[in-house]
Amino acid sequence: MPHNRFDQARPFLTLLLVVLAWLAVPVVVKTFARTSFFELQAPVSVAASYARDLQEYWTLRLHTNSELIEAGRDLARLAATYELSVQQNASLQAEVARLEDLLKMPPYADYRSEYARVVRRDFSGWWQRLVIRKGKNYGIPVGAPVIFSGGVVGRVTEVYAYTSVVELISSPGVRLAAVIDGETQPISFQGGVNPAFDTPKGVIEFVPLNVFASSTMPKRLVTSGLGGVFPPGLGLGTVTRVEASADGLFKTGEVELDPRLHSLTEVTVLVPLNPQ
Amino acid sequence: MRRTFITFLTLLLLWAVVAQVNHVLDGHVYLFVGGLFVTYAALSLPLRDGLAAVVLAGLLCDAGVPVPFGLHALLFGAAHAVVFNIRDHVPREETAARVVIALLLNLALFLALSFALVGRGPAPGAVWPRLILDLVCSQVGLALVAPWFFALQSRTLVLAGVERDSLA
Repeated sequence: MPHNRFDQARPFLTLLLVVLAWLAVPVVVKTFARTSFFELQAPVSVAASYARDLQEYWTLRLHTNSELIEAGRDLARLAATYELSVQQNASLQAEVARLEDLLKMPPYADYRSEYARVVRRDFSGWWQRLVIRKGKNYGIPVGAPVIFSGGVVGRVTEVYAYTSVVELISSPGVRLAAVIDGETQPISFQGGVNPAFDTPKGVIEFVPLNVFASSTMPKRLVTSGLGGVFPPGLGLGTVTRVEASADGLFKTGEVELDPRLHSLTEVTVLVPLNPQ
Repeated sequence: MRRTFITFLTLLLLWAVVAQVNHVLDGHVYLFVGGLFVTYAALSLPLRDGLAAVVLAGLLCDAGVPVPFGLHALLFGAAHAVVFNIRDHVPREETAARVVIALLLNLALFLALSFALVGRGPAPGAVWPRLILDLVCSQVGLALVAPWFFALQSRTLVLAGVERDSLA
Protein backbone atom coordinates (compact mmCIF):
# COMPACT_ATOMS: atom_id res chain seq x y z
CA MET A 1 0.00 0.00 0.00
CA PRO A 2 2.73 2.59 0.86
CA HIS A 3 4.46 1.68 -2.42
CA ASN A 4 1.21 2.42 -4.25
CA ARG A 5 0.95 5.81 -2.55
CA PHE A 6 4.51 6.66 -3.49
CA ASP A 7 3.77 5.75 -7.11
CA GLN A 8 0.80 8.12 -7.06
CA ALA A 9 2.87 10.94 -5.59
CA ARG A 10 5.88 10.33 -7.86
CA PRO A 11 4.89 12.85 -10.61
CA PHE A 12 4.34 15.57 -8.01
CA LEU A 13 7.57 14.77 -6.18
CA THR A 14 9.47 14.91 -9.46
CA LEU A 15 7.84 18.24 -10.28
CA LEU A 16 8.69 19.52 -6.80
CA LEU A 17 12.32 18.54 -7.32
CA VAL A 18 12.36 20.34 -10.69
CA VAL A 19 10.84 23.48 -9.12
CA LEU A 20 13.32 23.43 -6.22
CA ALA A 21 16.20 22.98 -8.64
CA TRP A 22 14.84 25.87 -10.74
CA LEU A 23 14.63 28.15 -7.68
CA ALA A 24 18.25 27.36 -6.86
CA VAL A 25 19.47 28.29 -10.34
CA PRO A 26 21.24 31.71 -10.39
CA VAL A 27 19.56 34.59 -12.26
CA VAL A 28 22.46 34.75 -14.72
CA VAL A 29 21.79 31.20 -15.83
CA LYS A 30 18.06 31.94 -16.19
CA THR A 31 18.78 35.04 -18.27
CA PHE A 32 21.14 33.00 -20.45
CA ALA A 33 18.51 30.28 -20.81
CA ARG A 34 15.83 32.82 -21.79
CA THR A 35 18.10 34.38 -24.41
CA SER A 36 19.04 30.94 -25.73
CA PHE A 37 15.41 29.86 -26.07
CA PHE A 38 14.54 33.13 -27.81
CA GLU A 39 17.46 32.73 -30.22
CA LEU A 40 16.19 29.20 -30.89
CA GLN A 41 12.83 30.65 -31.94
CA ALA A 42 14.31 33.50 -33.97
CA PRO A 43 15.37 31.55 -37.10
CA VAL A 44 11.88 30.03 -37.35
CA SER A 45 10.16 33.43 -37.19
CA VAL A 46 12.69 35.15 -39.46
CA ALA A 47 12.49 32.36 -42.07
CA ALA A 48 8.69 32.67 -42.05
CA SER A 49 8.94 36.45 -42.52
CA TYR A 50 11.34 36.04 -45.47
CA ALA A 51 8.89 33.53 -46.98
CA ARG A 52 6.09 36.10 -46.63
CA ASP A 53 8.27 38.76 -48.28
CA LEU A 54 8.95 36.40 -51.18
CA GLN A 55 5.24 35.64 -51.47
CA GLU A 56 4.53 39.39 -51.59
CA TYR A 57 7.25 39.85 -54.22
CA TRP A 58 5.72 37.24 -56.51
CA THR A 59 2.28 38.73 -55.98
CA LEU A 60 3.63 42.15 -57.05
CA ARG A 61 5.27 40.55 -60.11
CA LEU A 62 1.76 39.75 -61.36
CA HIS A 63 1.01 43.47 -61.88
CA THR A 64 0.94 44.65 -65.48
CA ASN A 65 3.40 47.17 -66.89
CA SER A 66 0.71 49.85 -67.21
CA GLU A 67 -0.17 49.43 -63.51
CA LEU A 68 3.51 49.86 -62.63
CA ILE A 69 3.77 52.98 -64.83
CA GLU A 70 0.71 54.47 -63.09
CA ALA A 71 2.18 53.64 -59.65
CA GLY A 72 5.51 55.20 -60.67
CA ARG A 73 3.78 58.39 -61.81
CA ASP A 74 1.83 58.63 -58.52
CA LEU A 75 5.04 58.09 -56.57
CA ALA A 76 6.82 60.82 -58.55
CA ARG A 77 4.05 63.29 -57.63
CA LEU A 78 4.27 62.25 -53.99
CA ALA A 79 8.05 62.60 -54.03
CA ALA A 80 7.73 66.15 -55.43
CA THR A 81 5.35 67.08 -52.59
CA TYR A 82 7.69 65.59 -50.00
CA GLU A 83 10.67 67.40 -51.51
CA LEU A 84 8.94 70.68 -50.76
CA SER A 85 8.21 69.52 -47.20
CA VAL A 86 11.86 68.54 -46.73
CA GLN A 87 12.96 72.05 -47.74
CA GLN A 88 10.46 73.61 -45.32
CA ASN A 89 11.59 71.19 -42.62
CA ALA A 90 15.24 72.14 -43.13
CA SER A 91 14.49 75.85 -42.75
CA LEU A 92 12.37 75.17 -39.63
CA GLN A 93 15.14 73.08 -38.10
CA ALA A 94 17.61 75.88 -38.74
CA GLU A 95 15.21 78.29 -37.04
CA VAL A 96 14.84 75.95 -34.03
CA ALA A 97 18.63 75.62 -33.74
CA ARG A 98 19.00 79.41 -33.90
CA LEU A 99 16.36 79.94 -31.16
CA GLU A 100 17.92 77.19 -28.99
CA ASP A 101 21.26 78.91 -29.31
CA LEU A 102 19.74 82.32 -28.58
CA LEU A 103 17.83 81.12 -25.48
CA LYS A 104 20.65 78.79 -24.42
CA MET A 105 18.23 75.83 -24.33
CA PRO A 106 19.43 72.23 -24.36
CA PRO A 107 18.95 70.78 -27.86
CA TYR A 108 16.40 68.04 -28.55
CA ALA A 109 17.82 64.54 -28.69
CA ASP A 110 18.92 63.55 -32.17
CA TYR A 111 18.00 60.20 -33.71
CA ARG A 112 18.99 58.02 -36.61
CA SER A 113 16.12 56.17 -38.33
CA GLU A 114 16.47 52.42 -38.66
CA TYR A 115 13.74 50.80 -40.77
CA ALA A 116 12.87 47.22 -39.82
CA ARG A 117 10.50 44.57 -41.16
CA VAL A 118 8.05 43.01 -38.73
CA VAL A 119 8.86 39.34 -38.23
CA ARG A 120 6.05 38.37 -35.90
CA ARG A 121 3.00 40.04 -34.38
CA ASP A 122 1.96 38.68 -30.99
CA PHE A 123 -1.22 40.41 -29.81
CA SER A 124 -3.28 38.92 -27.01
CA GLY A 125 -5.39 40.22 -24.16
CA TRP A 126 -2.29 39.73 -21.96
CA TRP A 127 0.39 41.42 -24.04
CA GLN A 128 0.90 43.27 -27.35
CA ARG A 129 4.32 42.77 -28.92
CA LEU A 130 6.13 42.76 -32.24
CA VAL A 131 9.36 41.06 -33.19
CA ILE A 132 11.37 43.04 -35.76
CA ARG A 133 14.16 41.88 -38.04
CA LYS A 134 16.96 44.04 -36.64
CA GLY A 135 18.81 43.72 -33.37
CA LYS A 136 22.33 44.08 -32.04
CA ASN A 137 23.63 43.70 -35.60
CA TYR A 138 22.17 47.17 -36.36
CA GLY A 139 22.95 48.75 -32.98
CA ILE A 140 19.33 48.83 -31.77
CA PRO A 141 19.34 49.78 -28.06
CA VAL A 142 16.84 48.73 -25.40
CA GLY A 143 14.28 51.50 -24.81
CA ALA A 144 14.50 53.02 -28.30
CA PRO A 145 11.20 54.52 -29.55
CA VAL A 146 9.54 52.82 -32.50
CA ILE A 147 7.28 54.75 -34.87
CA PHE A 148 5.35 54.38 -38.13
CA SER A 149 3.48 56.73 -40.45
CA GLY A 150 0.55 56.88 -38.01
CA GLY A 151 2.65 57.85 -34.98
CA VAL A 152 4.10 55.86 -32.09
CA VAL A 153 4.25 52.05 -32.27
CA GLY A 154 5.95 51.42 -28.94
CA ARG A 155 9.43 50.94 -27.56
CA VAL A 156 12.12 48.30 -27.83
CA THR A 157 12.12 46.11 -24.72
CA GLU A 158 14.50 43.32 -25.66
CA VAL A 159 17.36 43.19 -28.15
CA TYR A 160 18.82 39.94 -29.48
CA ALA A 161 21.50 39.09 -32.04
CA TYR A 162 19.44 39.92 -35.13
CA THR A 163 15.93 40.52 -33.82
CA SER A 164 14.35 42.88 -31.27
CA VAL A 165 11.10 42.85 -29.36
CA VAL A 166 8.88 45.94 -29.42
CA GLU A 167 6.21 46.44 -26.79
CA LEU A 168 3.26 48.25 -28.36
CA ILE A 169 1.61 51.31 -26.82
CA SER A 170 -1.57 49.21 -26.68
CA SER A 171 0.16 46.82 -24.26
CA PRO A 172 -0.99 47.04 -20.63
CA GLY A 173 2.60 47.47 -19.42
CA VAL A 174 3.31 50.66 -21.40
CA ARG A 175 2.96 54.00 -19.65
CA LEU A 176 4.16 57.35 -21.03
CA ALA A 177 3.66 61.09 -20.73
CA ALA A 178 1.40 62.69 -23.33
CA VAL A 179 -0.27 66.01 -24.10
CA ILE A 180 -3.33 67.04 -26.03
CA ASP A 181 -2.09 68.41 -29.37
CA GLY A 182 -1.54 72.17 -29.03
CA GLU A 183 -1.61 72.17 -25.22
CA THR A 184 1.13 71.87 -22.63
CA GLN A 185 -0.37 70.13 -19.58
CA PRO A 186 1.07 66.61 -19.28
CA ILE A 187 -1.25 63.58 -19.11
CA SER A 188 -0.46 59.97 -18.20
CA PHE A 189 -1.18 57.48 -20.99
CA GLN A 190 -1.42 53.74 -20.53
CA GLY A 191 -2.32 51.06 -23.07
CA GLY A 192 -4.39 48.10 -22.13
CA VAL A 193 -7.89 47.43 -23.38
CA ASN A 194 -7.80 45.64 -26.72
CA PRO A 195 -11.24 44.38 -27.67
CA ALA A 196 -11.46 41.58 -30.22
CA PHE A 197 -12.29 42.67 -33.79
CA ASP A 198 -12.03 46.33 -32.78
CA THR A 199 -9.43 49.10 -32.72
CA PRO A 200 -6.92 48.99 -29.86
CA LYS A 201 -7.55 51.41 -27.04
CA GLY A 202 -5.62 53.12 -24.28
CA VAL A 203 -6.45 54.99 -21.11
CA ILE A 204 -5.45 58.49 -20.00
CA GLU A 205 -5.25 59.66 -16.40
CA PHE A 206 -4.52 62.93 -14.61
CA VAL A 207 -6.31 64.88 -17.35
CA PRO A 208 -6.83 68.56 -16.33
CA LEU A 209 -10.43 69.52 -15.67
CA ASN A 210 -10.44 72.08 -18.50
CA VAL A 211 -9.94 69.37 -21.16
CA PHE A 212 -13.07 68.25 -22.99
CA ALA A 213 -13.36 65.58 -25.67
CA SER A 214 -16.00 63.23 -27.04
CA SER A 215 -16.53 60.96 -30.02
CA THR A 216 -18.10 63.89 -31.91
CA MET A 217 -15.35 66.28 -30.82
CA PRO A 218 -12.22 64.12 -30.52
CA LYS A 219 -8.81 65.52 -29.57
CA ARG A 220 -5.46 64.32 -30.88
CA LEU A 221 -3.08 62.94 -28.25
CA VAL A 222 0.66 63.30 -28.86
CA THR A 223 3.86 62.52 -26.98
CA SER A 224 4.99 65.23 -24.58
CA GLY A 225 8.74 64.68 -24.86
CA LEU A 226 8.92 64.37 -21.06
CA GLY A 227 10.89 61.39 -19.85
CA GLY A 228 13.34 61.61 -22.70
CA VAL A 229 12.38 58.44 -24.57
CA PHE A 230 9.95 59.72 -27.21
CA PRO A 231 10.50 62.99 -29.09
CA PRO A 232 7.61 65.45 -28.59
CA GLY A 233 4.71 65.70 -31.02
CA LEU A 234 4.42 62.09 -32.18
CA GLY A 235 0.81 60.92 -32.57
CA LEU A 236 -0.51 58.42 -30.02
CA GLY A 237 -4.21 58.31 -30.81
CA THR A 238 -7.49 60.16 -30.51
CA VAL A 239 -9.13 61.01 -27.20
CA THR A 240 -12.78 60.07 -27.64
CA ARG A 241 -14.03 60.31 -24.07
CA VAL A 242 -13.09 62.09 -20.85
CA GLU A 243 -14.96 62.05 -17.57
CA ALA A 244 -14.29 63.21 -14.03
CA SER A 245 -12.30 60.75 -11.94
CA ALA A 246 -13.52 59.51 -8.56
CA ASP A 247 -11.46 62.06 -6.59
CA GLY A 248 -12.77 64.98 -8.68
CA LEU A 249 -9.29 66.51 -8.99
CA PHE A 250 -8.62 65.25 -12.50
CA LYS A 251 -10.36 63.50 -15.38
CA THR A 252 -9.77 60.09 -16.91
CA GLY A 253 -10.46 59.15 -20.51
CA GLU A 254 -10.27 56.71 -23.36
CA VAL A 255 -7.93 56.92 -26.34
CA GLU A 256 -8.58 55.20 -29.65
CA LEU A 257 -5.29 54.07 -31.16
CA ASP A 258 -4.51 53.76 -34.85
CA PRO A 259 -6.15 50.59 -36.23
CA ARG A 260 -3.12 50.05 -38.48
CA LEU A 261 -1.09 49.18 -35.36
CA HIS A 262 -2.33 45.61 -35.63
CA SER A 263 -1.33 45.07 -39.25
CA LEU A 264 2.11 46.65 -39.37
CA THR A 265 4.66 45.12 -41.71
CA GLU A 266 7.42 47.72 -41.34
CA VAL A 267 8.39 50.13 -38.56
CA THR A 268 11.09 52.70 -37.88
CA VAL A 269 13.29 52.51 -34.80
CA LEU A 270 14.64 55.88 -33.62
CA VAL A 271 18.15 55.16 -32.42
CA PRO A 272 19.50 58.00 -30.23
CA LEU A 273 22.72 59.43 -31.67
CA ASN A 274 24.00 60.68 -28.31
CA PRO A 275 22.60 58.28 -25.69
CA GLN A 276 22.90 59.63 -22.12
CA MET B 1 16.87 11.53 -23.81
CA ARG B 2 16.18 10.91 -27.50
CA ARG B 3 12.46 10.61 -26.79
CA THR B 4 12.55 13.95 -24.94
CA PHE B 5 14.39 15.60 -27.80
CA ILE B 6 12.04 14.28 -30.49
CA THR B 7 8.96 15.27 -28.48
CA PHE B 8 10.45 18.71 -27.89
CA LEU B 9 10.99 19.12 -31.64
CA THR B 10 7.31 18.39 -32.31
CA LEU B 11 6.39 20.96 -29.64
CA LEU B 12 8.72 23.48 -31.30
CA LEU B 13 6.84 22.86 -34.55
CA LEU B 14 3.53 23.42 -32.75
CA TRP B 15 4.85 26.67 -31.28
CA ALA B 16 5.97 27.85 -34.77
CA VAL B 17 2.61 27.03 -36.38
CA VAL B 18 0.59 28.73 -33.64
CA ALA B 19 2.89 31.80 -33.74
CA GLN B 20 2.31 32.12 -37.49
CA VAL B 21 -1.46 31.72 -37.09
CA ASN B 22 -1.51 34.43 -34.42
CA HIS B 23 0.58 36.66 -36.69
CA VAL B 24 -1.96 36.29 -39.49
CA LEU B 25 -4.89 36.91 -37.14
CA ASP B 26 -3.59 40.49 -36.63
CA GLY B 27 -4.64 40.63 -32.99
CA HIS B 28 -8.34 40.27 -33.75
CA VAL B 29 -8.28 37.09 -31.74
CA TYR B 30 -5.48 35.11 -30.07
CA LEU B 31 -5.07 31.34 -30.13
CA PHE B 32 -3.64 29.64 -27.05
CA VAL B 33 -2.98 25.89 -27.20
CA GLY B 34 -1.09 25.23 -23.96
CA GLY B 35 -3.09 22.04 -23.42
CA LEU B 36 -1.64 20.53 -26.59
CA PHE B 37 1.92 21.02 -25.31
CA VAL B 38 1.21 18.77 -22.34
CA THR B 39 -1.39 16.15 -23.26
CA TYR B 40 0.52 13.63 -25.41
CA ALA B 41 3.63 13.70 -23.23
CA ALA B 42 1.58 13.19 -20.06
CA LEU B 43 -0.58 10.39 -21.48
CA SER B 44 1.91 8.41 -23.52
CA LEU B 45 5.50 9.01 -22.42
CA PRO B 46 7.41 7.86 -19.31
CA LEU B 47 7.46 10.37 -16.45
CA ARG B 48 10.98 11.77 -16.86
CA ASP B 49 10.94 12.02 -20.66
CA GLY B 50 7.47 13.58 -20.76
CA LEU B 51 8.12 16.04 -17.95
CA ALA B 52 11.45 17.13 -19.43
CA ALA B 53 9.89 17.72 -22.87
CA VAL B 54 6.96 19.64 -21.38
CA VAL B 55 9.16 21.83 -19.15
CA LEU B 56 11.46 22.62 -22.09
CA ALA B 57 8.41 23.55 -24.18
CA GLY B 58 7.23 25.77 -21.33
CA LEU B 59 10.59 27.55 -21.29
CA LEU B 60 10.31 27.98 -25.06
CA CYS B 61 6.92 29.65 -24.59
CA ASP B 62 8.29 31.79 -21.73
CA ALA B 63 11.21 33.10 -23.78
CA GLY B 64 9.09 35.07 -26.22
CA VAL B 65 6.57 36.69 -23.91
CA PRO B 66 6.67 39.23 -21.05
CA VAL B 67 6.06 36.83 -18.15
CA PRO B 68 8.44 35.71 -15.39
CA PHE B 69 10.77 33.17 -17.03
CA GLY B 70 9.54 29.78 -15.89
CA LEU B 71 5.81 30.57 -15.53
CA HIS B 72 4.70 28.51 -18.54
CA ALA B 73 7.18 25.79 -17.57
CA LEU B 74 5.74 25.61 -14.05
CA LEU B 75 2.14 25.53 -15.27
CA PHE B 76 2.91 22.93 -17.94
CA GLY B 77 4.84 20.85 -15.39
CA ALA B 78 1.96 20.98 -12.89
CA ALA B 79 -0.54 20.05 -15.62
CA HIS B 80 1.73 17.16 -16.65
CA ALA B 81 1.92 15.87 -13.06
CA VAL B 82 -1.88 15.94 -12.67
CA VAL B 83 -2.58 14.17 -15.98
CA PHE B 84 0.22 11.65 -15.47
CA ASN B 85 -1.30 10.76 -12.11
CA ILE B 86 -4.72 9.94 -13.58
CA ARG B 87 -3.65 8.51 -16.90
CA ASP B 88 -4.25 4.90 -15.91
CA HIS B 89 -7.88 5.75 -15.15
CA VAL B 90 -8.71 7.21 -18.57
CA PRO B 91 -8.83 5.53 -22.02
CA ARG B 92 -5.59 7.26 -22.99
CA GLU B 93 -5.11 5.44 -26.30
CA GLU B 94 -8.37 6.86 -27.69
CA THR B 95 -8.06 10.10 -29.63
CA ALA B 96 -11.40 11.44 -28.37
CA ALA B 97 -10.30 11.04 -24.74
CA ARG B 98 -7.00 12.75 -25.50
CA VAL B 99 -8.80 15.67 -27.14
CA VAL B 100 -11.12 16.06 -24.14
CA ILE B 101 -8.13 16.06 -21.77
CA ALA B 102 -6.32 18.59 -23.97
CA LEU B 103 -9.41 20.86 -23.91
CA LEU B 104 -9.70 20.65 -20.13
CA LEU B 105 -5.98 21.32 -19.69
CA ASN B 106 -6.14 24.23 -22.09
CA LEU B 107 -9.03 25.75 -20.17
CA ALA B 108 -7.17 25.40 -16.85
CA LEU B 109 -3.90 26.79 -18.23
CA PHE B 110 -5.61 29.71 -19.96
CA LEU B 111 -7.45 30.69 -16.77
CA ALA B 112 -4.30 30.32 -14.66
CA LEU B 113 -2.33 32.55 -17.03
CA SER B 114 -5.18 35.07 -17.21
CA PHE B 115 -5.45 35.38 -13.43
CA ALA B 116 -1.66 35.76 -13.23
CA LEU B 117 -1.41 38.45 -15.91
CA VAL B 118 -4.67 40.35 -16.06
CA GLY B 119 -3.94 42.58 -13.05
CA ARG B 120 -1.21 44.47 -14.94
CA GLY B 121 -3.68 46.45 -17.07
CA PRO B 122 -5.42 49.69 -16.17
CA ALA B 123 -8.89 48.08 -16.24
CA PRO B 124 -8.67 44.33 -15.48
CA GLY B 125 -12.44 43.89 -15.64
CA ALA B 126 -12.66 45.26 -19.18
CA VAL B 127 -10.18 42.69 -20.49
CA TRP B 128 -12.28 39.61 -19.62
CA PRO B 129 -14.70 39.76 -22.62
CA ARG B 130 -11.67 39.70 -24.93
CA LEU B 131 -10.06 36.86 -22.96
CA ILE B 132 -13.26 34.80 -23.02
CA LEU B 133 -13.54 35.18 -26.79
CA ASP B 134 -9.89 34.19 -27.15
CA LEU B 135 -10.54 31.16 -24.97
CA VAL B 136 -13.56 30.05 -27.01
CA CYS B 137 -11.64 30.41 -30.29
CA SER B 138 -8.63 28.61 -28.78
CA GLN B 139 -10.78 25.69 -27.66
CA VAL B 140 -12.37 25.38 -31.11
CA GLY B 141 -8.97 25.61 -32.81
CA LEU B 142 -7.45 23.09 -30.41
CA ALA B 143 -10.29 20.60 -30.94
CA LEU B 144 -9.73 20.82 -34.71
CA VAL B 145 -5.97 20.51 -34.63
CA ALA B 146 -5.46 18.09 -31.71
CA PRO B 147 -6.06 14.74 -33.56
CA TRP B 148 -3.56 15.76 -36.25
CA PHE B 149 -0.98 16.85 -33.69
CA PHE B 150 -1.28 13.68 -31.58
CA ALA B 151 -0.86 11.59 -34.74
CA LEU B 152 2.15 13.71 -35.73
CA GLN B 153 3.79 13.24 -32.33
CA SER B 154 3.12 9.52 -32.37
CA ARG B 155 4.40 9.02 -35.94
CA THR B 156 7.48 11.16 -35.34
CA LEU B 157 8.46 9.01 -32.36
CA VAL B 158 7.92 5.87 -34.47
CA LEU B 159 9.96 7.26 -37.38
CA ALA B 160 12.75 8.25 -35.00
CA GLY B 161 12.81 4.67 -33.75
CA VAL B 162 12.06 5.47 -30.12
CA GLU B 163 8.54 4.01 -30.09
CA ARG B 164 7.15 0.86 -31.68
CA ASP B 165 4.47 1.24 -34.33
CA SER B 166 1.22 0.14 -32.67
CA LEU B 167 -0.25 -0.62 -36.14
CA ALA B 168 2.53 -3.00 -37.09
